[in-house]
Amino acid sequence: MSLFASPIQDTDVQTPVADTPDNHSSIFSLEVIGGLSLFGMLVFNIWEFGGFTNNLQLFYQEGPHGGNYKLMTAVSTLFGGKMQALFALVFGAGIILFLQKKEQPVAISNADAYIRRMMWLMAFGVFNAFILLWPGDILFHLGVMGILLFAFTRMKAKGFFIAAIICTLVYCGKQYWNYTDDKKDYKKYTAVMAVENKFKADSTSRAKKDSIDRTKDTLLLKDSLLKNKLTDSIARKNDTLNKKQSEEKETWEGRVKGLKFDSTAIKGNNKTYRASWNKVAYKLMSRSQQKESAWLYRIGIWDIGAFLFLGMALMSIGFFSSRFSSSTYLIIGLITIVAGLALAWFRINLQCSKLEDYSKYIDKKVIPPNQFSPIETILMATGYLSLVLWLLRMKIFGWLWKALAAAGRLAFTNYILQTIICTFFFYGYGFGYFGRLKQWELYFMVAEIVLVQVVFSVFWLRYYNRGPVEWLWRCLVYRKWLPNKKPSSEIQHPD
Amino acid sequence: MDQHISSTITTAPVALADRIKSIDAIRGFALLGILMMNIPGFGINNDFWYPLVTGPRQGANYYTFATVFTLFEGTMRGLFSMLFGAGMVLFMLNKKDVPGGTTVAEYYYRRLLWLVFFGLVNAFVILWQGDILFFYGLCGMLLFAFRKLQPKWLLIIGLTCVAFAMIKREWNNNEFREKRAAYTEAMKAKKEKKELSPEQQGAIAVWSNIEKNDKPDTAYSNLNLRKMQSGYGTIFAYFIPQNAGGEIGYMYGDPWDMLCMMFIGMALFGWGFFSNKLKTSTYAMWLLIGYGVGIPVAWAIFDQYWMGFSSPGAYADNWRSSHAVFSELRRIPITIGHASLLMLVFRSNIVPWLMRALANVGQMAFTNYLMQSIICTFFFYGYGFGYYNKLEFHQLYYVVAAVWVFQLIFSSIWLRYFRFGPFEWVWRSLTYWKKQPMKK
Repeated sequence: MSLFASPIQDTDVQTPVADTPDNHSSIFSLEVIGGLSLFGMLVFNIWEFGGFTNNLQLFYQEGPHGGNYKLMTAVSTLFGGKMQALFALVFGAGIILFLQKKEQPVAISNADAYIRRMMWLMAFGVFNAFILLWPGDILFHLGVMGILLFAFTRMKAKGFFIAAIICTLVYCGKQYWNYTDDKKDYKKYTAVMAVENKFKADSTSRAKKDSIDRTKDTLLLKDSLLKNKLTDSIARKNDTLNKKQSEEKETWEGRVKGLKFDSTAIKGNNKTYRASWNKVAYKLMSRSQQKESAWLYRIGIWDIGAFLFLGMALMSIGFFSSRFSSSTYLIIGLITIVAGLALAWFRINLQCSKLEDYSKYIDKKVIPPNQFSPIETILMATGYLSLVLWLLRMKIFGWLWKALAAAGRLAFTNYILQTIICTFFFYGYGFGYFGRLKQWELYFMVAEIVLVQVVFSVFWLRYYNRGPVEWLWRCLVYRKWLPNKKPSSEIQHPD
Repeated sequence: MDQHISSTITTAPVALADRIKSIDAIRGFALLGILMMNIPGFGINNDFWYPLVTGPRQGANYYTFATVFTLFEGTMRGLFSMLFGAGMVLFMLNKKDVPGGTTVAEYYYRRLLWLVFFGLVNAFVILWQGDILFFYGLCGMLLFAFRKLQPKWLLIIGLTCVAFAMIKREWNNNEFREKRAAYTEAMKAKKEKKELSPEQQGAIAVWSNIEKNDKPDTAYSNLNLRKMQSGYGTIFAYFIPQNAGGEIGYMYGDPWDMLCMMFIGMALFGWGFFSNKLKTSTYAMWLLIGYGVGIPVAWAIFDQYWMGFSSPGAYADNWRSSHAVFSELRRIPITIGHASLLMLVFRSNIVPWLMRALANVGQMAFTNYLMQSIICTFFFYGYGFGYYNKLEFHQLYYVVAAVWVFQLIFSSIWLRYFRFGPFEWVWRSLTYWKKQPMKK
């Protein structure tokens, strides 16, 4: 029972499903993609682990577009969101596989085992976010979504596809909705600014008049002069913005300021992460809570839901096994990736002009830069998936796929291990490297972690059926001490 | 809610005799009682409580406030949650899987997902901010995994949830007291004419803000009043961010409030409490324990906490721990007291007609719950009769009584001709994705 629920590993149970060759190849592909997305996620997540913060990213986006900017844009285009999407997709496909199981290791129904799995996954997610201190955790979200989508699992492939499309479109709609909220704020701001400018103009004209008045020191005019002065002082009193107006002004100014690089924030941020566990935990708590509640409610349901459904759809049409011809995979892969990159290019250009001057952008443009990013993500993820499946069928790079599959089979363990390694390396209660590595150095860190994890996974699987966390999860779900060691006859000793 | 909504995969209707009448009666009672707690939300502007807690302790408004908040606050929701837990067990117990067909578990989750959907409709379309269906649907999805546990374990889990709630509130109270302590220290320094550090100035600002927030914000209250007296479109747009914020905050922040009662309800159901299986003396004992423990605690909380809202400073100085921490210790005993009292009345057969009427209300609880939203929003909001904030606090309870009478009569008449309430029928048909028989 890996994170992707491959029944083939349940060697202690007779699982008829696993015996069909179709499922065999499906499971191998799922494990490969799982391993790939596991490492792909790290390439993007390392920014947050290592202190290449949003603020720093703004610095490179705003400054002259040098090497750092190009590298960063390439990584976010190729990996950002797409790898997490693939991970969710494989998870969704695994749901279908899991529910096909004919028998569980203890006498409970599939539904019971399934729901318990998801609830424990939520618990692991909470642990990952609040104890191991990784606010980017997605295990909690996968668990919640797994429970929410259980009611849909009996749908046909067509239903899954439609559901995936609906989720993607709703997500696009939400992006637009957020943009219109910004637009409203901007409109209020321009209205306030018009008032303020008028005040300014009034006060300059009054100052002019005052100086003229002073020169006319005739008695005749004195009366009307006094009257003028009185109205003036009333006008001056009303000259300042009221509370609501200044709030509206500040809202927009704050939003624009948030899009600007803040050189003073770097030091404080570094200090926070290079502190003790207590301090980092306190600092990250609200962020993790935010992600597990508001983000999930507003965005996550649609974002993750789309990929779970897509995974279920692809699983039920047999996309992961040998359903289609090799050229089909290649063509689908190329088309979707090219289309995805085109959307990414479009997004990056818009993003640039947004960062240059958001007021000007919002004044002119109908859509936000990220309007179609959900579609971009779904296209790219499908593209990667198809290309890998095509390569698998070409039977080249066999060693690579085996290595990835081993890591993918231990996806849960490896995911948690990534958190442990990275937080310990970067945060203050470990080595405290937060913010000390350059962007390109971070990728070397990724490469090392990948290497360590692949080697670890391959060796571990020589002696054990499942990864340690997978095994723990399984014991918790079935409330029973289940064996994990491979029988000695099965252990292949390397000579 | 309506626990017997379906009996089998072939969706054969439950023989009416099978319905556990005592459960229906308690559910009906709880459903009507919920309106007592909800009516201020429907009909009166949100600063209504301030004159109540600061004003003289007399007059119809004060007595109504004291009665409702001592005897009923949280308990009707609690009773409803308990029966929701019990109903969930009933739903699963009554059915057997047909091999190869859609499993009962799947129907269960579909049913709850539709409940979540109805909750969204209730909040965002019918415009009732206090909706609970959304939360019940989601909590129900967590209960599934525990349905086969022994009552003893369910009770332990329920009490664990209570502990979670208490720890969380105690935590909040500690933060509150820390702010107060920092403020007092800063004020002391100020009196001694020492120069204040930025932290001390900050502490003073933070506490002054708390004092200020404790008083009703006139600008906000006026805005709220104006919005509530407007048309449908305005209130609809006004409620979107509030509903979203509420659903996020309550579900993630305080699910323990619902979950503890649901688990305790499942345990009590397992012991036969709701199905009239215990001895009369047992019910009498629980009545005495429940009210005996709950009412004094409730009065203390009302007297000290609710009425202490007007001066947070004095509250923080006087009390080590917040009364909110102990509110479950008030709520759970009183809820059990209510349930025991009702069971005693039910089996003593003093008012059989009333019990029958309550059972009818309970049998179509889902319909009645939504109908309360529809009636009240239409009566109070600007696009209906516009009575929002036009009634005195105690007068709101005339509206409650009128709705009660209507629902008691309506449910009895409806069930004479139909098997389910209208919304139950829609819900059931959606769950099974097939039009269900309706007529008797």
